[in-house]
Order: sequence, then structure tokens, then C-alpha cells
Amino acid sequence: MTAVAENTEVGRARLRKEDARLLTGRTRWTDNIAVPGMLHMAILRSPHAHARINSVDVSAAAAAPNVVAAFCGKDVAETQGVLACAWPVTEDIVMPTYLPLAVTEVRHVGEPVAVVVARDRASAVDALQLIEVDYDPLPVVLDIEAALAEGSPLVHEDKGTNKCYTWVFDSAAAGSGGDVAGVVADAEITIKRRYVQQRLIPSFMEPRSVIVEPAAGEGGSWTVYSATQIPHILRFLLAATTGTPEHKIRVIAPDVGGGFGGKLAVTPEEWIAFAAANRVGRPVKYTETRSEAMVSAHHGRDVIQDLTLYAKRDGTVTGLDVKLLANMGAYLGIVTPGVPLLGAFMYNGIYKFPAYRFECTGVFTTTTKTDAYRGAGRPEATYAIERIMDELAAEVGIDPMEVRRRNWIRHEEFPFGTVAGLTYDSGNYEAATDKAMQLLGYDELRAEQAARRESNDPKQLGIGISTYTEMCGLAPSRVLGALRYGAGGWESASVRVLPTGKVEVVTGSSPHGQGHVTSWSQIVADQLGVPFDDVEVLHGDTRTSHKGLDTYGSRSLAVGGIALVMASQKVREKARVIAAHMLECSPDDVEFADGAFRVKGSPEASKTIADCALAVFAAHNLPDGVEPTLDSEATFDPEGFSFPHGTHLCAIEVDTETGEVAIRQYVCVDDVGRVVNPLIVEGQVHGGVAQGIAQALYEEAVYDAEGNLLTSSFADYTLPSSADLPDIVSDRTETPATSNPLGVKGVGEAGTIAATPAVVNAIVDALRPFGVIDVQMPCTPERVWRALKEVIA
Amino acid sequence: MDFLRPQTWPEALARKAERPAAVPIAGGTDVMVEVNFDRRRPEALLDLTRIPELTGWERDERAIRIGANVTYTRVIEELGAELPGLAMASRTVGSPQIRNRGTIAGNLGAASPAGDAHPILLALGASVEAESVRGTRLIPAVEFYVGVKRHSLAPDELIRAVHVPLSPGPQQFSKIGTRNAMVIAVCSFALALDVPARRVGTGIGSAAPTPRRAVAAEDYVSGALPWESRDPIPDGVGARFGELVAQTASPIDDVRGSAAYRRHALAVLARRNLAWAWKEYQCA
Ligand SMILES: Cc1cc2nc3c(=O)[nH]c(=O)nc-3n(C[C@H](O)[C@H](O)[C@H](O)COP(=O)(O)OP(=O)(O)OC[C@H]3O[C@@H](n4cnc5c(N)ncnc54)[C@H](O)[C@@H]3O)c2cc1C
Repeated sequence: MTAVAENTEVGRARLRKEDARLLTGRTRWTDNIAVPGMLHMAILRSPHAHARINSVDVSAAAAAPNVVAAFCGKDVAETQGVLACAWPVTEDIVMPTYLPLAVTEVRHVGEPVAVVVARDRASAVDALQLIEVDYDPLPVVLDIEAALAEGSPLVHEDKGTNKCYTWVFDSAAAGSGGDVAGVVADAEITIKRRYVQQRLIPSFMEPRSVIVEPAAGEGGSWTVYSATQIPHILRFLLAATTGTPEHKIRVIAPDVGGGFGGKLAVTPEEWIAFAAANRVGRPVKYTETRSEAMVSAHHGRDVIQDLTLYAKRDGTVTGLDVKLLANMGAYLGIVTPGVPLLGAFMYNGIYKFPAYRFECTGVFTTTTKTDAYRGAGRPEATYAIERIMDELAAEVGIDPMEVRRRNWIRHEEFPFGTVAGLTYDSGNYEAATDKAMQLLGYDELRAEQAARRESNDPKQLGIGISTYTEMCGLAPSRVLGALRYGAGGWESASVRVLPTGKVEVVTGSSPHGQGHVTSWSQIVADQLGVPFDDVEVLHGDTRTSHKGLDTYGSRSLAVGGIALVMASQKVREKARVIAAHMLECSPDDVEFADGAFRVKGSPEASKTIADCALAVFAAHNLPDGVEPTLDSEATFDPEGFSFPHGTHLCAIEVDTETGEVAIRQYVCVDDVGRVVNPLIVEGQVHGGVAQGIAQALYEEAVYDAEGNLLTSSFADYTLPSSADLPDIVSDRTETPATSNPLGVKGVGEAGTIAATPAVVNAIVDALRPFGVIDVQMPCTPERVWRALKEVIA
Repeated sequence: MDFLRPQTWPEALARKAERPAAVPIAGGTDVMVEVNFDRRRPEALLDLTRIPELTGWERDERAIRIGANVTYTRVIEELGAELPGLAMASRTVGSPQIRNRGTIAGNLGAASPAGDAHPILLALGASVEAESVRGTRLIPAVEFYVGVKRHSLAPDELIRAVHVPLSPGPQQFSKIGTRNAMVIAVCSFALALDVPARRVGTGIGSAAPTPRRAVAAEDYVSGALPWESRDPIPDGVGARFGELVAQTASPIDDVRGSAAYRRHALAVLARRNLAWAWKEYQCA
């Protein structure tokens, strides 16, 4: 399959078609939509982290002004359905029932308990105060290790344990490497470290919102608008868990304002709105407040990582053992247990070594559930390996970049089968690293660092390195099957050429800020030889886009983009037959060049796609047996993953007196394969780096001892603003992926994955002469100061 | 909730006298947060934004009288040269939007221990001009803050203006936060040298139930500095000053920082602010 016919659009820094709409807000966000007869819903949430519900009295709320209905979990227990987890990672995984509205017990602060539906939102919110709930508080358990200890209070009493699962990968058992136990005895260097991935909150810009229009009578159908990343999966699961026929449900994800994995979810709020709309027989809207989002939409990370790295004196790694404790929270969201597995194959990073073992135990606590957050599993893996490679360098006494060079897969070794059992199709770590080091001025900074150390400058300089890789293109369906994931990993696209030669594209990938409309237009423009502006991209409505697996895990371009290329090619091949007929020659004698079909050797006569479209529309004179359409559909299931990589470097000044850190320079050279739109790629890298820096320096979800979320607004959950972020110098190398015909790899998560270890490595690098080997994230001034105080005392 | 919108200052004072529970609103950047989070449901809001008397500032030889509705942005743009410390503090407030709406009087009205205007007002010996239908009085800043988010205005009083002395000498303000912008200070510190009086003024923020002066530190350092010779600060003076400042604080542990860190960081900020201000004095 030749991927690209013409190449005038792909690679061009087009401004995004969707931005005028999105930036002005003059568009259809779910909360902007009003449907006739619509009511408003408010949700009463648990103030307890763990409690038995003895009774709920909604009568006063139901009688309040403007209120149409009030109900609690017991009232809809039979009809509300359940929230599904699609990834039972082991056979013996403990999977608690996850109800949208709690019926007998609540297990985290913010869990929905009762509902008011009213004619306006304020009345609904006010009436919540009239609901009386009688709770018996139960013991809370917040800490992962405490939850596993003998005698710990149980989150789910009936399960008899807080352990959700233990999942193991062993390179010896998998046949991809040796046995870690075998390298222990011969290891000249053994480094043990514990790193803690704090809990984070995926801070999408648009809070979640949902409208459910119920069926009007027998045979009617339901329309659900939701600010979701996954309209197709939402439709499937609504049908599967509420017994509503799938063909009667239409799900629309209108413009969606960001997700970062936070909207890769089927949510209690969607199911409750569905139940509420059915109960009152009228459309119901629910839009959360920011604090509700922070308390109840899923969180991310929250993993304790225990690593043991084995190496030789010369810095060659011989083995790695990884043990994780992952906080599931109180319930399992759609992919909660699987998130650590997405990292399991990445702890070896860009390095080659012979033996690897990974073990992850999922643990229940009385906290908000965790699930996918930008990078999902891979940031954790990258952080761990990139941090411990610096420790190895310190132990061996060589530059941290040198230790990486000694271990990484060399360019000529690709494709490379890794110890974690994946095949890295392509990569060039040398090229990206050389470029990044030059851009940063690595050697000059090392000299400055030495001078500051020499002069005991209160502001020390640290240089942070992250030579990351990650896996994108989720995912080969058979691999997902082998990992016990409930669905496949294909993506679908269709292309319809209209009679005037304009093109409609339908994608199963569901954008929420990534710029699909622009990139997809560029691809189709090249494939069909039509102008960029003549392509309309349709998405996010299951009635137009009947098939898809949506957007997450940097999969859209590397999977959905390929489906689009395939669909475009089908159209082009059909048009070739029609063009040949009009040009009165054999299709074999027709070539497609400069946007038109021409007879080989006599280029003056030509037919464009538009000519073919009109001919098809009239259908007066088509070749025998050719159907009068110029439409196609294609579904792509990748054979393998793609592996973006790159080198991120930063220089950070650490104030050893106050503990404040300032990023002075940040340089990244990313290799995301072939680039469709450099502006979009750069935007993704910038945003990604910002979020990676945020984990390193600013963000953390903090609970008090009773399980209340202390950081439930942006005053305390400190997202960085532009004033907190450095200028980011971003550049690229371009090593095309060989795993797909466009040569693309994916860029949605790369920045986030790469940046966090680069920043923390820089801080530790600055403080290493004092004896600091770790600073707990987020590295606030106080944490940095404490780390110094501990080693100096 | 009633929304009262007086058009003149006498009318505002009359409304406040009639309804002492009415909550004044200027920029609204504190009031509206409380209303939106349902922490406060005032029976009435008293909107002061229409009152022309509050929007200006004027100068005499000794002080600048800043009208209650003057925003941070205006302090930065119009008073930056004469009140450098207050301008420095103003620059650290919120975001451009917040600085465009938020006022110094609003900061005083909220009386948060973390309010960024307070330390420099204390260091400069500013006073608050409070007025009611009963008359006008000047409340020195040190007497203005009486508890966590509590001030010494009588229920019928409004802030008319803030009087900030024109201090002949360098001024500094710095704060530590968990991010650079839009942040509630973990701790903050302001310092002003009154050169003719040979006096150092101080103000501590976010490290006690109220903003406060570090009087013992001021007394010590005012006597220990080589004012006449303009020599470098003698060894150990900066560190001792920092220690005394830290001892004056009575910080708490909260989600933004621990008491121990706040004390430590205050000592560092105090020492550094002194060094910067002194350097400026030496060069002047
Ligand atoms: C996003 C955000 C960021 C912020 N960042 C900072 C920051 O970095 N530093 C900081 O110090 N503050 C910050 N604040 C708080 C706030 O902006 C400041 O306290 C500001 O000075 C308040 O001024 P205002 O005019 O908006 O006050 P308002 O909200 O209008 O009023 C505040 C209080 O003062 C009273 N009041 C107002 N005018 C008078 C008057 N004339 N007489 C008597 N009482 C009066 C009100 O009744 C109320 O109690 C922030 C607020 C927000 C929302």
C-alpha cells in the first residue's frame, strides 16, 4: 500500500479549521445545548469517605418550588444499570459492583447519593439541602500500604480483601529475556529506589456535562449528548448495562473541551441522567461544577514504585525488577486496573538489557477511583527508568547521558525486540539526543554547574535528562485480547465524495481539542487531490459515525488516520476506473498526479475527482458493473504499536535556601515519525510538557485523614499558568514509523511522559552533591527544602 | 438578597448605617468567590463601584491617599515610582484580570492573613481612613487587623481610602507560593527603610492569624545597620534579623505549607530583602 499520493498538504503548518469556533466558544458545548422541555438535575454527594446509608428522605426536596422529581439510589436500584470495567486484567481480579447512585453504602467523598430534577438549575441545587440522609460512618482507608495490611478496614466488606489483583510479567516466562533472579548474584551494582507517583486530577477545561432525551413512548429512541471522549463506547455500554436496545440510542459528543483521559470514562452522572430522564419522561441536563469534577471525576496516577536495577561496574544494565502498588480508589472505572499494564511494557525504556520482571498489585481505598490520565501507565514507567538511570550514572561516576548511551538501542539495531516482548519498529536516539544537547548547550551548562558548586552558590544548577520512548497506536486487537481487555483497538473511517466534488469524511475517532478536523482534511486533500477547504470532517455522533473506538492513548492519527488513508484510497481506485472510462482507456493506463487522473504519456487530457463525482451522480455513462457511488469505508486494525521517542533536557536553578526551583531552559527534540501538521504537533508537545512539568512541580490531589479532598478547587490544586512555565524550545527528528503506511507515531502524550522525569532529574542533579537522591513530587519549595534538610541533618 | 447601589458617598454611608449587615462590594474578587461557593449568603450587597469619590488618589508632602476603589493595576501603573513596595506587592496579586478588578481596600476588607497588600502597608506605617455617618477616623494598619479575616471597622463604617506614607528609602516585597501566579502566599514579607528616621519597617504575611509587624526585629536591625557609613551589612546581622522575624511569626500547618517551613522561609526572605534594600541604599 502506498500511503501518500501527493504531498502538498501533509507536512504543512495549517492553522486549525476548528479554532475560530472553539476559541470564541460560539459552538455546541454540551452545556450550551437546550432541547425543548429540558429539566435540570443536581446531585447530592456523600460527605463521608465511607458510610452505610440507613435512609434517604427526599420528600421535602420533592415538594420544593420548581422541583419535578427527587429520588435516591433505592428508588432506581432496578433500572439504573451499573458502570462497567472493561479490563479485568487477571482471572481472579476482584470486581466490585459499581452503581451510579449509591444504594446501601458510600465509599468515597463525592459519591452520588440522591438527585433533584427541577425546572431550573438553581432550584435543583437549592433543593439538595432539603434531602435528609442518615449515614453510619464506617472506617476509612486511604493509604495503599495500610489498605493491604492485616486487619485493615475493608472498602468492600463482601470481597474480604482490599487487594484487587496482582498481575505479573516476567521476561523469562514470556520468552523475551532472562530471569531477573538469575542476574542478582552477578550484579556488580544493585540500586533500589522507591518512587511515588502522586495522585493527579485530569483538569479538562470544560467540566463534564450530559443531556438525556428519553424515548417519547413505545418504539421511541434516546438521544444522549455528553462531553465525552468515547461516544461509541458510551452507546455500547448504555445499551449493555441498562437493557436499552442499542439501535434506539444515539450518542452525540458535540464539541468537547479537553479530556486528558478524564473523559475516557462512562460516568455515574451519565447513568444517573439517563435514569432521571426515564423517570420523569422529559429531557434532563446535568452539568457539574469544577469542584464536583475534582471530587468525583476520576483521578490519575497514585502509584508506589519499588525498583531494583542490576548493573555492571561499567554501567551496563543487566536486569530490572519493578513492583508497583496502584491505588484503584473505591471502584473500577472503565480501564482502571489496566492503566499500570500500559506501562508494564515500557519500564525498560529505550534500553536493552537481558532480564525484566514486573509485578503490579491493585488496591482499593475509600477514595475517588483512578483511571487513565494523559500517558496512562507510560509516564510512570518513563519516570521510573529515567530517574534510576541517573542513579546508576551517579553510582558508576559517569555523566548521566553517557550511561544512557551505553545502554540504549542503537539506530542500526532496529527493528528491535525488547525484553518486555515488544518490537520497536524504528528509532534514532542518537540523532534526537545530539540535537537536544546542542540546543541546550549541555557542555556549557555542566561547566556553569561546576562553577556554582565550587563557589557554594545558594542557587545551584541542575541539568535534567529524559530520553523517553512510549507506545502509541492503541492497539492491535489481538494484543488487547491477550491482555484481557474487553474491546478491540481498530478504528474506522469513511469518505463520501459529493456531486460537486466536495468531500465528507466520517471518522470514528472523537476529537476533543486535538485538531482532527484539520489533520484529517490535510490527509484527504493529498489522497484525493482536492483543496483542503473542500473537506468536511464529521465526528462524534453515532448516527453519522456509526462505528468507532474513539480518542485516547495517542491513537487517533496512528490508527484512525490510517483507516482514513485506506478509505481515501478505495475512493481513488474507484474513481480511477470511472476516469479511465471517460478518458477511454484502461484503468491500468491511468495515473493519478497533481490532483487528477491522466493517461500515461498524454497528460493533456485529465479528469479530477470532481469530474468523476459528477459522472457518478448523473450515472448516465458508467462502466458496466460499477455502482453509482463514490463512497467508501475502511477499518484499520494495527499490526503493531508505534514508538515515539525523544530527548528532553532542562536546566533548573534550585534555591537551596528557600527550596524554590526555576526552570531556566527547556529543550525537547521529539521523534513522532512523519508529521502531518507541524503546528499541531508543536501544540501537543507544548501542552504535554506543561502537564509533565505540572506533575513534577505543582499538582497533587491531597486527602485529609477523614478522606475529604483538600484540593477541590484550582486555588489549592495548583495547575501551572503561563507564568509558571518556561519557554519551550521544541524541535524534531523524523524517523518514520514502519508499523503503519503513513509513518506516523502519535504525539498526544509524548510531552507529558517525557517532561516529568526531566524536571525531577534536574532538581536531584542540582542537589546531588549535598546527598539528595530524591524529592517527592510535586517538588514544591517546601519539599525541596525538606529533602535538603534531611540529608544535611 | 438585596442589591444596593448608592450613587454618592454620603448615600453609601447612609445605606451602611441603615443596614450594617449589608456587605460592601468593590471589585468583587473576594465577595463573589464566597457567594459562588455558598460560603456566605449576605442579606444585601452594597455596591460601591458607582461612587466617584472612591476612584481617585491624591498626594501631599507626606502621604498618598489612595481611594478605596483604586485597583492593583492602577497602583502599578500610576503609583509605581512613589510606592514601589506596594507596586511590587500588587504585581504578585492574582492574574491581570484580578489586578484589573481587585482593590487595596478590598484586600483590607477581606483582611486575610495572606492578603498581599498588608505586609508593605504595615512596613510603611500606613493607615486606613474609615468613615461612617458618625464621622471619619484614621486606623493605623497595625490596629486594623484583629483576627483571621477580621478587621476593626465598626459595622456602619466603610473604607474611604488608605493613607500610605511616602517613605524616603528603598522598599522590598517578596512571597513564596506554590506557583508563580494566582497563588495564595505560603508566606510573604515586606520591608521599608525610612532613611531619615534610621528605621526599618517590616510586615509579615501568611504566617500568623493576622498580618503583623516584627517589632523586635525592626528594633534590632535599625540599631545594627551602619546608616552613616553605608558600609555593607555587618556579618551576622542579616541572619539575626531573619531569626527575629521568624520568631515573631506564629504560623500553622495547612495544605499549602507547614509551620516549620514558613518560619524558615520567612527568615530567608527577611535576610534577602534587607540585603537588597541595603544595596539600593548604598548605591543611592
Ligand atoms: C483568582 C483570584 C486570585 C487572587 N489572588 C490574590 C493574590 O495573589 N493576592 C491577594 O492578596 N489576593 C488575591 N485574591 C483576593 C482578592 O482579589 C483581593 O483580596 C482583592 O484585593 C479584593 O479586592 P476587591 O475589590 O475585589 O474586593 P471585594 O471582593 O469587592 O471585597 C473584599 C472585602 O472587602 C470588603 N470591602 C470592599 N470595599 C470596601 C470598602 N470600601 N469598605 C469596607 N469594606 C469593603 C468587602 O465587603 C469584602 O469583605 C485573589 C482572588 C481571586 C478570585
